[in-house]
Amino acid sequence: MRIHVSFYSYFRDLTDCSETTEEVPDGTTLESLLDRVRQRYPKLEPMRRSTLAAVGVDYQDRHYLLKDNDAVSLFPPVQGG
Amino acid sequence: MKRDLTLTCDVIDETDLIRSRDASAGVGAIVYFAGVVRAGEDGKSIHGIDYEAFPAMAERQFHLIFDQVEKRWPIESVRLVHRIGVVPVNEPSLWVEVTAPHRGEAFEACQFLINEMKRVVPIWKHPQFF
Repeated sequence: MRIHVSFYSYFRDLTDCSETTEEVPDGTTLESLLDRVRQRYPKLEPMRRSTLAAVGVDYQDRHYLLKDNDAVSLFPPVQGG
Repeated sequence: MKRDLTLTCDVIDETDLIRSRDASAGVGAIVYFAGVVRAGEDGKSIHGIDYEAFPAMAERQFHLIFDQVEKRWPIESVRLVHRIGVVPVNEPSLWVEVTAPHRGEAFEACQFLINEMKRVVPIWKHPQFF
């Protein structure tokens, strides 16, 4: 499956990019994807506990089973207002 | 419950927002709040804050919060404007208005809405230091 991954706020600086793609096997969870992304971009590792993850426009828990062409967004805690 | 959500790069015109209010005869309380950019961030002087958003998700999350407000309180309307891009010091980045029959529910809903926004709506601040 191909998963599109976007980064927001200072996660873009930590990864030096705003988006990437990951090829993952069927049955991959959001948590597994996050592990792969952290391996590719180790500067995200210190933000492990505070990283927020969405699929499309909704937050999903780490057990979410990814589907082909899902759009995953990863970002730090939000700060509106 | 009427809802009006705006994410904009334009200046928030509070006078115009108040002038355009459309409250029914059943409204007894109108609470509105403006969040304004302060001159300091983490002890350093700034000239503004650059607000970044993930717009589609921000809209979705705002509407989910509005859904919760509608379930919990008898609110007649919510209007919310969040400015995106660089907002200079002393200018509002956020404007929220809640109208309701009574002040209790209007204050509670307004506070809830802002607290939830700060928890789930994907908007980030980038302070602009001198």
